[in-house]
Amino acid sequence: MTERKMVVFLIAATCVFLVGTIVTMVVPFKSINDPKLKIATVKPYTPLQLEGRDIYIREGCNNCHTQTVRPLLADTERYGEYSKTGEFVYDQPFLWGSRRTGPDLARIGGKYPDAWHEKHMKDPQSMVPRSNMPKYAFLTHPLDTSLTEKKMKTLGFPYTQADLAACQGKTELDAMVAYLQKLGTDIPWREAAKTQLVGELKNPFLDNVTVLPEGKKIYDANCAQCHGADLKGGVGPSLVDIDKPDADIFTTVYAGRQATGMPAFGDTLGKERTWKVVTFLKLRQRH
Amino acid sequence: MDLASVYYLGVTFLLFGIFVAIVVRTYSRKNRERGEDPKYRMMHED
Amino acid sequence: MDQQQGYADDVVKGFILWSMVWGLVTVLIGVLISLQLVYPQLNLPPFLTYGRLRPVHTNAGIFGWGIGSFMAFFFYITQRLTKTRLWSPGLARVQLWLFNVIIALAAVTLLAGMNRSKEYAELEWPVALLVVVLWVIFSVNIIMTIAKRKEEQMYISLWYILATLVGVAVLYLVNNVSIPVSLFKSYSAYAGANDANVQWWYGHNAVAMVLTTPPLALFYYYLPKSTGVPIYSHRMGVIAFWSLIFMYLWTGAHHLLWTPVPDWVQTLAMGFSVMLIAPSWASVFNGYFSMEGQWNQMRDNYLVKFLIFAITFYGLQTLQGPSQAVRTFSAFIHYTDWVPGHVHMGTLGWVSLVIFAGIYYTIPKLYGREIYSVGLANLHFWLAVTGQIIFSITMWVAGVQQASMLHASNPDGSLHYSFMETLIELYPYWTWRSIAGIIYLASLLVFLYNIVKTISAGKAQPAEQKA
Ligand code: HEC
Ligand code: HEC
Ligand code: HEM
Ligand code: HEM
Repeated sequence: MTERKMVVFLIAATCVFLVGTIVTMVVPFKSINDPKLKIATVKPYTPLQLEGRDIYIREGCNNCHTQTVRPLLADTERYGEYSKTGEFVYDQPFLWGSRRTGPDLARIGGKYPDAWHEKHMKDPQSMVPRSNMPKYAFLTHPLDTSLTEKKMKTLGFPYTQADLAACQGKTELDAMVAYLQKLGTDIPWREAAKTQLVGELKNPFLDNVTVLPEGKKIYDANCAQCHGADLKGGVGPSLVDIDKPDADIFTTVYAGRQATGMPAFGDTLGKERTWKVVTFLKLRQRH
Repeated sequence: MDLASVYYLGVTFLLFGIFVAIVVRTYSRKNRERGEDPKYRMMHED
Repeated sequence: MDQQQGYADDVVKGFILWSMVWGLVTVLIGVLISLQLVYPQLNLPPFLTYGRLRPVHTNAGIFGWGIGSFMAFFFYITQRLTKTRLWSPGLARVQLWLFNVIIALAAVTLLAGMNRSKEYAELEWPVALLVVVLWVIFSVNIIMTIAKRKEEQMYISLWYILATLVGVAVLYLVNNVSIPVSLFKSYSAYAGANDANVQWWYGHNAVAMVLTTPPLALFYYYLPKSTGVPIYSHRMGVIAFWSLIFMYLWTGAHHLLWTPVPDWVQTLAMGFSVMLIAPSWASVFNGYFSMEGQWNQMRDNYLVKFLIFAITFYGLQTLQGPSQAVRTFSAFIHYTDWVPGHVHMGTLGWVSLVIFAGIYYTIPKLYGREIYSVGLANLHFWLAVTGQIIFSITMWVAGVQQASMLHASNPDGSLHYSFMETLIELYPYWTWRSIAGIIYLASLLVFLYNIVKTISAGKAQPAEQKA
């Protein structure tokens, strides 16, 4: 009697669990796998990128970094186009994360040149002085490729022998950078988001020395990591003798030059602060 | 309303019905003593 | 039956003592990672970096400290509520060994970077398989004991215990399905948005089945035992029970608001989260109403103080949780420090306070001694509550401040602050969190000392009070 009652109880409790489970966990597979959500340009990972992803998992980068851009202004302005269901079909496991101690990385691909990532991964504070990201200099040891082919097979990703050969002689850091540079680039959002600057560009602070201190602050916080604290260059070119029209410099900074690794600052700095840093670059030589 | 909505609505009402049945049964006069008995019995077990 | 001899209690002692060890480890690592966020030079690559230590902290907390002590209490409570000796004390011994092996393996593998990356399901497949074996052994033992019980009706604590056993089993099996590549590496069987949805169906119900139903089982048992007055309403407990376990399973997607999982799943999660206030608060009221005419015990009886503060934090937690599940508020605080504030009110305030009360009540009974020092127990209480409140409040303020800065924009629509400008504002709060953690650590040391002294040097209990 008492046994039967307990068995009935266990069955009842299981059924109660299953209702919500079926509706909100099983049924959504159908919605998520809807062919309409597929994005043709989304590609699986190459062997090198996959190895990089596995290192990302091993190091627990997802404890500080998310990988989903939400359709909210604060997210899209800061990180780029919001994330789409179809962009993640090759992510086993998903790496969306739950905490942004560091910035979102869903669209990091193409934001910086490889050289920036290499320096930053080895010593984040050398690029961003008050960052609390750990140093990953130890990633410079050689990549273990003994499982690479098996991994590609397990996940059913296409690969060629040349792809596998491309992993030889690489470091873990190379793999990580390859992975980071792929993130979020399967849809051509950067081209679409490319800031269109219309109308005549006139510097509102032309020859206005009072904005120099603020311009320098903006420079130190955003530009020094690539152009050097003394402007003598690093990942980016030296800006010591820059002698281009204000409007050209403004366009470079505001819209960036995606192909060569100069990030766009329009969304984070806005027009006014961009003009201030331009003014700083131009006027500092004379003062 | 399409068929799916009718179906979902039906399930919702069904679940709600079950809930009401549990409440009614638990609080029925018949269950009054029995339903509260365990809380007294647990006080003098060890 | 001579009950003192009849019950299998050695293994209860074993689980309690080991869970205290893992609890200490949790808090030590918690303090360490909180400091690493302020002083990144405390990261010692490759093994002791924040990214690898944080999962060790969460796993030691939820599985070592949480599950470990719940295993002890489930054995203790089940035997007493069924008036039946544990079905197999031998199996329970094996379970204790296996448990400790698993937690140690978990710590080692996670530090070595073997990690599935899914939160609270990080353990690689060989360790996860051991966890399944552990859970089966545990469940069989409890279920067989209940099946052979000498009490016809089951007190509400047993309902929560059984629900925990079934719930954890279902959740763990589904979310851990993976495709192994080698002994140390596997990939999740699900991809992308599907994986996310399965994960948070699991993740939120880990909160339900590990951080809610087991402490409730304890609460419903230890509150009446400590006050000497029965729980206010058993039937209300029953209604709350069914509603709680029904609703929880619908809410996983509140961890995924604004992400690419389907909108309707998010909306359901939001609705059910708000509805969850009812069954959660039914338990809170059940606790409060049981205190009718007994409130003086808050002053005179330290056990009651732990339990009533615990259920109060549970009440706050289950109001805050639903608010975080609302889309507009989530847009603001999701991904910020607000959430660790929420988490630690739950784990430090609710879960740990209940466990402390359970240990203070049970250890003297098992060893036939009085508690070594009530004064130290009170000191422990106040330090723990102070630490926890500082922790949570600083994190809520930090979360709101960072969120406001992240969302601030200039008149031309560009953002006002860069990410780094918001991050550096957090350092002072994080320092305060570390201080809070150290206060909590101090409270824990007082607690451990008190328990060890009770066992080794406590006064023998007068015979008539002996359980
Ligand atoms: C303790 C938390 C933490 C951990 C762990 C961490 N990061 Fe970071 N990361 C940050 C913070 C904070 C920033 C922002 C400041 C900076 O650029 O250093 C950042 C920035 C970055 C950036 C630049 C983002 C941008 O848009 O400017 C990349 C890329 C990055 N991290 C990659 C990684 C990788 C890969 C790992 C794992 C190996 C990792 N991070 C681990 C905290 C962390
Ligand atoms: C991630 C590294 C990086 C950061 C950060 C960065 N730059 Fe650049 N910048 C570059 C690179 C690389 C180039 C070279 C682009 C090219 O050759 O087309 C460049 C080019 C430029 C140029 C054009 C130089 C020329 O001779 O035409 C200007 C002006 C400039 N950056 C200004 C800035 C300012 C101002 C900031 C801060 C707001 C900044 N950069 C931040 C990498 C960076
Ligand atoms: C009192 C000492 C403690 C300190 C200082 C501490 C510190 C921390 C820190 C710094 C984090 C990371 C927060 C972030 O991502 O920004 C964290 C996360 C976490 N801690 Fe603790 N912790 C403590 C105790 C505990 C205990 C006892 C438990 C469990 C029983 C616990 C469970 C968790 C969980 C589940 C998370 C993950 C939260 C999330 O994903 O948002 N902590 N803790
Ligand atoms: C009605 C009850 C509850 C609801 C509706 C609820 C809701 C939520 C929501 C919406 C989040 C996600 C916040 C975000 O990331 O934006 C969250 C996180 C969390 N909650 Fe609760 N909560 C409830 C009760 C509890 C309780 C009692 C605990 C016990 C400790 C708890 C522990 C946690 C943990 C550990 C997380 C962090 C998960 C992670 O991101 O890793 N919650 N909760």
